[in-house]
Formats: sequence, structure tokens, C-alpha cells
Amino acid sequence: MEAVVVDAGSKLLKAGVALPDQGPALVMPSKMKLEVEDGQLGDGAVVEEVVQPVVRGFVKDWDAMEDMLSYVLYSNIGWEMGEEGQILFTEPLFTPKALREQLAQLMFEKFNVSGFYDSEQAVLSLYAIGRISGCTVDIGHGKIDIAPVCEGAVQHIASKRFDIGGTDLTNLFAQELKKSNPSVNIDISDVERLKEQYACCAEDQLAFEAIGNSCRPERHTLPDGQVITIGKEQYVVGEALFQPHILGLEDYGVVHQLVTSVSNVAPEYHRQLLKNTMLCGATVSMTGFEDRFQREANLSVSAICPSLVKPQEYMPENLSRYSAWLGGAILAKVVFPQNQHVTKGDYDETGPSIVHKKCF
Amino acid sequence: MYGGDEVSAIVVDVGSYSCKAGYAGDDTPKAVFSSVVGSIEQTGETDEAKADTAPDSKNGAKPMDVDKAKTKRKLYVGQELEFRRDHMEVISPMKDGTVTDWDIVDNIWNHAFRQRLLINPEEHPMLIAEPSTNTGQQREKAAELMFEKYKVPALFLAKNAVLTSFASGRATSLVVDSGGGSTVVAAVHDGYVLQKSVATSPISGEFLTDCMMKSLESKGVVIRPRYSFKKKEVSPGEYKVMDLDFPNTTESYRLYCMRAIASDIKESVCRVPDTAFDEVAYANVPTTSYELPDGQTIEVGADRFKIPDILFNPSLSQTIPGVDGFADSMSARGLPRMVIDSVNRCDVDIRKELLGSILLSGGSSSILQLKERLEKEVLEESPGNARVKVLASGNSVERRFSVWIGGSILASLGSFQQMWFSKAEYEEHGVSYIQRKCP
Repeated sequence: MEAVVVDAGSKLLKAGVALPDQGPALVMPSKMKLEVEDGQLGDGAVVEEVVQPVVRGFVKDWDAMEDMLSYVLYSNIGWEMGEEGQILFTEPLFTPKALREQLAQLMFEKFNVSGFYDSEQAVLSLYAIGRISGCTVDIGHGKIDIAPVCEGAVQHIASKRFDIGGTDLTNLFAQELKKSNPSVNIDISDVERLKEQYACCAEDQLAFEAIGNSCRPERHTLPDGQVITIGKEQYVVGEALFQPHILGLEDYGVVHQLVTSVSNVAPEYHRQLLKNTMLCGATVSMTGFEDRFQREANLSVSAICPSLVKPQEYMPENLSRYSAWLGGAILAKVVFPQNQHVTKGDYDETGPSIVHKKCF
Repeated sequence: MYGGDEVSAIVVDVGSYSCKAGYAGDDTPKAVFSSVVGSIEQTGETDEAKADTAPDSKNGAKPMDVDKAKTKRKLYVGQELEFRRDHMEVISPMKDGTVTDWDIVDNIWNHAFRQRLLINPEEHPMLIAEPSTNTGQQREKAAELMFEKYKVPALFLAKNAVLTSFASGRATSLVVDSGGGSTVVAAVHDGYVLQKSVATSPISGEFLTDCMMKSLESKGVVIRPRYSFKKKEVSPGEYKVMDLDFPNTTESYRLYCMRAIASDIKESVCRVPDTAFDEVAYANVPTTSYELPDGQTIEVGADRFKIPDILFNPSLSQTIPGVDGFADSMSARGLPRMVIDSVNRCDVDIRKELLGSILLSGGSSSILQLKERLEKEVLEESPGNARVKVLASGNSVERRFSVWIGGSILASLGSFQQMWFSKAEYEEHGVSYIQRKCP
């Protein structure tokens, strides 16, 4: 039986059986509705609450996670109770040890899996493009991870993690739209969709400043009939990643962070790391983002300039969205057949801490 | 006594140059960042100006109040320091290897736990590495801060030299720790530091970086800090470097950024010469090129060998224009001399064992050829029949973090779990009990 790969992100949960030439079979929002019965209302009305088990990349609500995983594994993928297979999870950078142990515990005790492995998303994304060394810039919904990887090992000393991501860009977009369309009331989930549709990146900093004056506003009709105009706000979203002061943060843009991150690695690796830079996460599929990134990279304050790697033609489309999952599928094909994973026997013998010894 | 559960201990080593923190049992620290912090004074400056210019104002009492009022400051630790801010001074919590500003150390610990390791200190026992010459008062302060503010369940303070010794699997050795802020030579016997043998010297990584910087400046090389320029595309494929002007950047920040680049140059090109450095002999040595961040390529020649030789011959630093002599740099001894003096201050019986296991640790000990040269020089100055062996792990990462690695090994040993100074013991016996628990 094939192993299952699960990539639980802050916004989307990607899961599927490990077949690397296709994308994940299941891509669903990692949100759940919690139905709480409100006893006071006589007619049994239910109060609904939206629960997000994964916050900023880390699992915060374990009960919700359990429910979500049991839906994914039993109802969707089709595991039978009592005949669970092997599972591979992805995790973001700097996951605390306690969280990994809890995940292993959940898998072995509640779900009774026969084999378990987890790996960092940075390494997996590189496997998806056929490299074992390089830099990944993973711009997710809840966090941005910048990780130099040398020969399959993440250089933790040099890696960086930022607690900003797609969700903050959505809030920024909502704020900007409110400023230019004060009379319109837009729901945050609608803003999210608008952002995905309209957001783009200016060619460079000067072009961004020029846009303010010369942009043609577009009119968009919301599902409830209201009409809004979107003008230079679309460019602000993309610009925020290169000039974080737009988001109110005192920090350098994403390219500068990449360059300083690599400078903390031993000098002999610099060239290899910078020349094999990979962008992942749904945000990078924004129009004009990659070109802007490459342009900024050429202007970066470093002797060697980063350059982006193009994925192979035989890999699925939209590689950047699912790169961690695809890398996981590739890894699953290596780890499980060679018995390098944590088996039920290992877990019973040593307990959850076995995960630190066996999974890198 | 702390039982020691499944939850793993955290090992923290705050040095004068960098702070290392991570889980016990790991082979490298997860969080490594600079020990210096950026500080912006929040009130302070303007009050003093007012007091000076208006001595006969209605608020005659003001000058007195300004002195007493504590100027509040905002500290920027770790990554926050890398962003250039106006008026941000770079300050260090340490002076000569010991902590002088506990507020900064507090901020550093907080940053390490909450933002880098993402843990709750109340759940993990802590192993802290302390300087080999730490005083009782400093240890009590550290223990107090840990238990009162961070509410750790258990604590242990271990001396740097002892941890390095454990990292190489020895209970007796002579540890030469050449770090960023100072070089310390200490003899460890059966897991205890022999206090009379401890010697320190201010000649260390930071000093060598300064020498490198001044030497390059005297040759006309301008090192541009990363924040002070940007590249502009003049035509496709051709770039020009443009200087940016930030008049409110403090001198200390500018120096900090320049040092980061000079430090990289030093780490890339320097080598310890096989014999003592001689200006004449090395005048025609072939140069190595190095590319600076702004694209300039510089050629480093005799400096490649001169800078590391300062460790062996401190008076060489006087020949570099612009390097301020330390008051006692004339009396600062070279490394081999410090080793011999240290050994001679120990009992005769153990001297042979110490000379046979000299351990190198610290970032500056990764300079190429240091091990061979030190072995040769100590052999020359030691008594005839002594066997001198200098040991250093081949991996430069291990040398840089050897204190941390020793701590990681110690905290994960089964037999160590009963040695923790637990919160219950702290509450029962008070902070001075630490002197007995952590020798």
C-alpha cells in the first residue's frame, strides 16, 4: 500500500497518496466549523464557530486536528480502521520538539498508523525540483520561512522565520480597499478571493511609485451586488513583501533577508546556495512576483546574486503551490521501502521522543 | 532533587560575541545570534540639553531630576539588530568576559526562548554555561533571574572550560578557549576548573577583526556597510553602486556592520604562519582576492599571515596604524606563553597530562594552521621530555560551539539528572545554595 503524504498548512491542507507525478489528490481549506449547541435558545439553535487548527504553520488545536485528519484519512483517502498505512507529514522551520512528539503520539495512539515520518518543508521543496542543496523562500499563508539547505540538511543557524504571510497581505488589501471604497462593506473571505484574483507586483520600486498616479482602476462586482474600484491597491500587496514598512514592520524586504541569511553559512557554500534559490507557496504565483524577485536579486547587496531555479517540465503545473507535498511524495518513496521511518514497534519501545532520532 | 522527565533540557551559552541556545541532546544549537544588542534611548537626550540651556528656568530642580531619572531604552535583539535604525547604539552586556548589564542578558534569554526556540521556559530545565572566572555574586544573580523571572523548574551552571572538556570526552585537559571577546586558558582536572591556572587575555576574535579593518583602511580600502549602498541598473546587465546617506546612524552601528564584513574577510583568507611573522619575509607573498558585497575586489597579501600571528605575538598589533593599544596589550602574552604559565601554576603531578591534552575551542580557534603552530611553539618552551599534543575537532562548527556541545552532552546524561538545582531547593535553601550545588 502506498504511503500517504499530508502537508497541513495554515490555510490549505494538502493530502494524498504518494504519487509524485501528480499533485495532491485532496486540497482543502484547513478550517472547520464547530457546532456548539447553545442551550439557552429554546429552539435548539446552534452557534457556529470557525476553528483553524493550524496557526502560523504550527498545530495549535489538537482536537480539531484529530477530527480533520480522521476526515481526510478515513473518509477521503479511504483507509480502513485497523488497516492504517504509513504516513509522512511536513513541518515548518523551528517546530518545537514538543510539537513533533505530540504529532507522533497522535498518529500512533489515535490513528494506529504502521509507520510515521516527518520532514521539514524546506528540504522537501528542494526535492521537488530535483536538488538537495539550495535556498528555499517559502511564503505561506501564516509565515515566511527562509532556509538554506546544504546536502539535505537545513542550516538552522542561518535560517529565518517571519510571522507574516498571506493572511497579513489580505488584511492589508482589505485596509487599502476600505480607504478607497469607504462605503462598501466587504467580508474578509471575499477580500481573500479578490487578492488572489487581482494582486500583482510592480516591476521595481520606481515603477511602484509611478503607479500611484497612472493606474487604471478596474471595477469589480461583488457577489452581493456591490461594485468596488480596485486601482493601485493591487500593487501594494506585492510591494509589501519587498518593502515591509508598508505592513508597518521595521525590516528589510525578502531578498535582503535571503542574502543575509546565506551570509551566515560557511563561505564555500554561498555560490551553490544562491544560485539554487527556490520560491514556494501560493503567494509567489502572484503576477509579476518572480520577475520582481529576480530583479531585486540582481540589485542585492551581495557579491553573488541569487538566481531562481526553474522546475522540470515533467513535474506538475503549479509546482510552487504544492512543492512541499510533492517533495514529501518523493521522500516517501525512499524512506518507507528502506524502513528508515518510525515503526509502531519503535514507538512502543521508546516513546514519542524516537521521532527526533529517526526523522531529520 | 529534580527527577528529569521526558521533556528535554535547554542549554544556553551567552558569550561575548554570540549567544548559542538549543535543546540538550542535539549536536548543534538551533539558535545562534549576536550577543550585542541595539538600543535606542527613549527619553534621555533632550532632557539633558534642556537642563544645560535653562539653568535659571522656573524648574530649577530639573537638573537634579534628570540625573536620578532612569532613561528608558528600547532594546533590539538578534535579527532586529540587523535593520538599520536612527540613533540605535550597539551595546554589549559583557566586559572582559563577565556580565555587567543583566537587563540585556535578560532580553537575550527572552529572545532565545520565545522567539527562536519557541518554548516555554517553565517547562524545561536550564543548563547555563558561565565563564571559568565567574564570581559567586554573578552566579547568584543568574540563578535569581532564572528562577524568579523565568520560573524554570531546574537549573545548573557549568563552567565553559569544563563543558569543552566533556565535549571531547576528557575529564582532565587544558582548555584554550579563543572566542570573540577574550581568550581564556584554563586547566580542568577531574571535571573541576583549577582556578589558579586560569589566565585571560583580551586578544581574541574581535580584536583581530579590528586589526584587519584598520589594516585595510590604512591601505586605502573602503569597506561599505551593507545598509549604506544600493545597486542601480544603468543598462541591462550593468550595475552601478550608489551610496545612500543615513546621517542619523550611530558610529557604533556603522562599526558593527563594517566589522561583520571584516570578520568575513578574516575568516575567508587568514592563515597562521608556520613561523613568527616577519615584515620583510612576507612582503612579496602572493595575494588572495576577496569580493566585497558592493562588488569591489580587494587583494589581501601579508595581512593574511600578520593578523593571526597577533595571537602569538601581541606587539605586532602596534605596527598597524590606528589600532589603539590596550593599556596592557604590551604586557599581553602570546598564546604559547599563556599555556606554559598556566600549566606551571598547577601541581607538578598533573602537568604532563595537561600538556598532553590541550584542547582548542572557540570561534577564533578555527583559523587554519593554528593547531600545528601552537603545538610547535609549546613544544619549544616546555620541559624536554614532555609530550605536547594539541587537540581540536576537525569540524570548525564543532570548535565554535564546543562549549554548547559539552552542555548538550552533560544535560542529556542519565547520571546528571540528579545534579540539577531544582526550584524546590531554591525555595527552601535560598539562592546561595547554588555555590554548593554547582561547583
